[in-house]
Amino acid sequence: MRRLIVQKSGQFVIIAVLMIALMIISIAPLLHRTVTYYKHEPWEEYLALIGSIELNSERLVTLSLANYTQTLNQDILTENLEKWQIDTMKIYSGHGISLTYEAAYLNHSWKKQQSLSVANVTFILDIESIGLEGYKFTVVELLNLTIIAIDESNILVSVKDENKAPVTDLEVGNFKVIDADTNSTIGLEQVISDYDEKEQLIYRLVCNCTVPTSVIVEVWSPENIHAIAKYSL
Amino acid sequence: MALERVFLKATCGQMRVIEVILASLVIVFALSFANLFAVTPTSPKYEVTELEKLGYNVLYDLDKQGLLPRFVYSEDWSNLKAALRISLPIDVYFNLTVYDLNRTQINDTPIFYGDASAFENSKNVASVTYGLVGHDSYNPRILVLQLVRG
Repeated sequence: MRRLIVQKSGQFVIIAVLMIALMIISIAPLLHRTVTYYKHEPWEEYLALIGSIELNSERLVTLSLANYTQTLNQDILTENLEKWQIDTMKIYSGHGISLTYEAAYLNHSWKKQQSLSVANVTFILDIESIGLEGYKFTVVELLNLTIIAIDESNILVSVKDENKAPVTDLEVGNFKVIDADTNSTIGLEQVISDYDEKEQLIYRLVCNCTVPTSVIVEVWSPENIHAIAKYSL
Repeated sequence: MALERVFLKATCGQMRVIEVILASLVIVFALSFANLFAVTPTSPKYEVTELEKLGYNVLYDLDKQGLLPRFVYSEDWSNLKAALRISLPIDVYFNLTVYDLNRTQINDTPIFYGDASAFENSKNVASVTYGLVGHDSYNPRILVLQLVRG
């Protein structure tokens, strides 16, 4: 070993071998790419198909929740899910698609300081043509409306989605304020969005009169999901 | 053992080895550089598959951005055509037809780009079927996108 370390005459050969090894390693990815260029990857063309079914199933849950919060028809989600189950087979006939669901939940908790409307569905997707079986994905749709505080003619509210992210771009048309005692509508002059450290984004609802001690705020999200919150001093 | 000693101690011809290594390095770098600009030919065998993949990806991207349901349900065919023209490569011709669930055609004007004869004459016409669930209510639409390379 000592002899090997002390000897200097073979160093050049070692460097040469290392450099040749480096070159072989550099060429390897090029060769691999060339060999596999036309290799057929059947998964790639189906990724967008799976994505589209997921996306539209998510949209189905959203519009079912929107419909439920408008009509309080508890069956709307299962009705839509059953129709979508049949129609996906019709739309993608030839792919052997089977979309089922194992749990569907639809509920609301309104007229509280912190109110919410929620839908939750777990889907199971099979695509026979690519051997996909039992692919599960869960869709949760939620609208959370919280009345934070009342200050003279202003009402501070936060509106959040299922990811606890604030719902943006809400305007006067998205809100309604009602006097809880008289049940009369209070006019809204403007809706101002403010930054809040805790809530990230809050909406300041500026009313055209002093806000009563007991007030109801209604919100419609851009997807038309409805929630109603109540605040009493 | 003797041969090994000779090999390790031999110093003549080193320059030749350096030359070979440098030449090999030049070849490797030249190959890598040329590879960056290489225009790989399309395979007729996988042309349809490639176009199908492209079609699915384009429709999915437009759907994810919310543009596809907006244009389809508002029957804004000109903007839908423009969105497809922007999203697809210029040499890919398309013909999109929107149907309802009974396979009744919804679009009254053609959503078409390219040369009609390319669809008739080409052997590699890809057809992609895409489903939309609805916009404000449950109202599915079937989109059939035909693609061909011009």
